[in-house]
Amino acid sequence: MAALRDGDFAALQILLKAPSKDAVRQLCQECFSSPPAALGPLAQRACPGLAISAQEAEQLVSALHNLTRHVVFRGFTRAEDILCLFPENFHQNLKNLLTKIILENISAWRNEAQASQISLPRLVDMDWRVDIKTSSDSIARMAVPTCLLQLKIQEDAALCGNNPVVSALTVELSKETLDTMLEGLGRIRDQLSAVANK
Amino acid sequence: MGLLNFTRDPVPEAVSGDMHNLNQLSAQQFSSLTEVLFRFLTEPKEVERFLTQLSDFATMNKISLGPLKNIVKSILLVPNGALKRNLSSEQVRADFIALGLSEEKASYFAEQWKVNSPTLTRLALGQTLMINQLIDMEWKFGVTAGSSELEKVGSIFLQLKLVIKKGSQLENVYVELTLPQFYSFLHEMERVKTSLESFS
Repeated sequence: MAALRDGDFAALQILLKAPSKDAVRQLCQECFSSPPAALGPLAQRACPGLAISAQEAEQLVSALHNLTRHVVFRGFTRAEDILCLFPENFHQNLKNLLTKIILENISAWRNEAQASQISLPRLVDMDWRVDIKTSSDSIARMAVPTCLLQLKIQEDAALCGNNPVVSALTVELSKETLDTMLEGLGRIRDQLSAVANK
Repeated sequence: MGLLNFTRDPVPEAVSGDMHNLNQLSAQQFSSLTEVLFRFLTEPKEVERFLTQLSDFATMNKISLGPLKNIVKSILLVPNGALKRNLSSEQVRADFIALGLSEEKASYFAEQWKVNSPTLTRLALGQTLMINQLIDMEWKFGVTAGSSELEKVGSIFLQLKLVIKKGSQLENVYVELTLPQFYSFLHEMERVKTSLESFS
């Protein structure tokens, strides 16, 4: 998580050189979504559009990243909270524009942060099928229903960057196992309702 | 010997001799031996106990253990084949008679077979191959209070640990689900249960 630094607001004023409000909007979104490691390349891409030096671009991109991430971290929802962050002498119009852009994007950004937080491997999809076993080496004729469950599991997004590894696991459940599992899942549901109703 | 129900392969030579010896046992002795056999068939893991009971039977009835074991091996051919082929008790009886066992003893054994076959069938079904069988499921759920990106979160997470049998080893698989995913999973599992029940 990036913390706001002293030089950040000075760097933000470089945005006054931006060609349009949309350019500022675009840059804000890219700076938020970019992980710290990718800020360098992003700065290089931003240079030509803003007619600024490489060093200025780096400072700007870093400052925008810190500002947007800081606001999302604190969970601000009101314009006042965001406006308070800026120093006294900061350019009024730019301050208002940045606040407006941030407020527009804040809930999408929160979702993005939550989606990429660390976790155990995540369930991304699940499919099932019911088979009837009709014969085996131990019994020539039978009619035993069984369930095949396929779980698609994605490894921790943070570890895989842009190429998450999804593995498929197929499990077989007998009717008894399924009943026990449903009992467990039912208990979870009951406990969740109890927590929700408190 | 005509066609047998319990097997298509030729029967070992020793079997008719063993049947002849069985015929020499009294009804009481045959009944005790049959009891020992079925106790073993319904609890196949109790090998020690089975061997002890056979040995006791041999001593009590003044029969040598070696020949007794051979006789038992021959007898067991029939119920094992019968189980695989879902034979009826009449077919079991017919097979024993074809092998040389007396009608009286064949009928008695077939009757015991009928009584025990639900248990034996259930045991055989339990041995059927399962791929990546789910053995156990552990779970915990909680609330994410905060993260490095979000100071206050308050979202519920659910973690499942699935214990899966892969071949002869157990493997643990850890999965995390969001709340909507959990409800969706629960809903799907209930559909599976309905489907399985309609086929039972």
